[in-house]
Amino acid sequence: MTPEARFRAYIQAFNATDWEALQGYYAPDVRLVIGNGTELNGRAAIVDFYGQVKRQTRRTIEIVQCFADGQTLAAEIESEFLAIENAPDFAVRPMAKGDRYYLNSFVFYDFEGEQYTRIRAATFRREYRSAAGG
Amino acid sequence: MSARASGLRPWFEAYLAAFNRADFPAFGDYYAEDIVFHGQAAQLVGREAVLAFYHQVRTYLHERIELISFVGAPDGSRIAAELHTTLLGLRDWPDMPTGPVRAGDMRMRVSFAMYDIADDRFTRIRTARFSPPGREAA
Repeated sequence: MTPEARFRAYIQAFNATDWEALQGYYAPDVRLVIGNGTELNGRAAIVDFYGQVKRQTRRTIEIVQCFADGQTLAAEIESEFLAIENAPDFAVRPMAKGDRYYLNSFVFYDFEGEQYTRIRAATFRREYRSAAGG
Repeated sequence: MSARASGLRPWFEAYLAAFNRADFPAFGDYYAEDIVFHGQAAQLVGREAVLAFYHQVRTYLHERIELISFVGAPDGSRIAAELHTTLLGLRDWPDMPTGPVRAGDMRMRVSFAMYDIADDRFTRIRTARFSPPGREAA
């Protein structure tokens, strides 16, 4: 499987909330760093973090583009967060039920074999749409 | 230098080297005439607009960019780069778009940049800040 095909399968597992499959894509000591300062170490910490996000929102990721060179894959992804409950403590900003938040991110995935060892993400663009239309 | 002939990474490194020595003709040659530029400090369209912006920047700042990570698309159409930028204020720039700078101030930040390429020129450049604002001060 090419790195690009593996990445598409990984995102598919993410969108399906298939945590068991998702864990298989991470090295045990994987490190995730997001440009907002969030840093997570280990596959359990990452899955727990995503689990919390998905308890409050329905997050869907669309791959805008991805390509690999050596042991790194670069991706541009677009995430939609739809709040399924009021989430005043949501990681990005407070959200009310029905609100939508969009993030366009540039991400580097370092990998060894078939597992990601380091993931780093930076937000290129963000957009918030209130369910109330505000 | 051609991206195809030299390889994408050396071609890109030559761009950064030209940028760092403020060789405007050399790094400007990498920009398509109708380039779309989404930088941290400016949103611009067109090579002349981008070069005019950097001419202005260079009157206030010394800017140096180092390549940390490089990912080139196999077909040569895109580059993703992790860049470390060092800015040194040459004189006060209270209206700098990303925040006021005073002479002697040094700022460092890490950004992820996406470059779209056609015919050996960048057609679009987009950057996203990776290092949080609180961590960028030198």
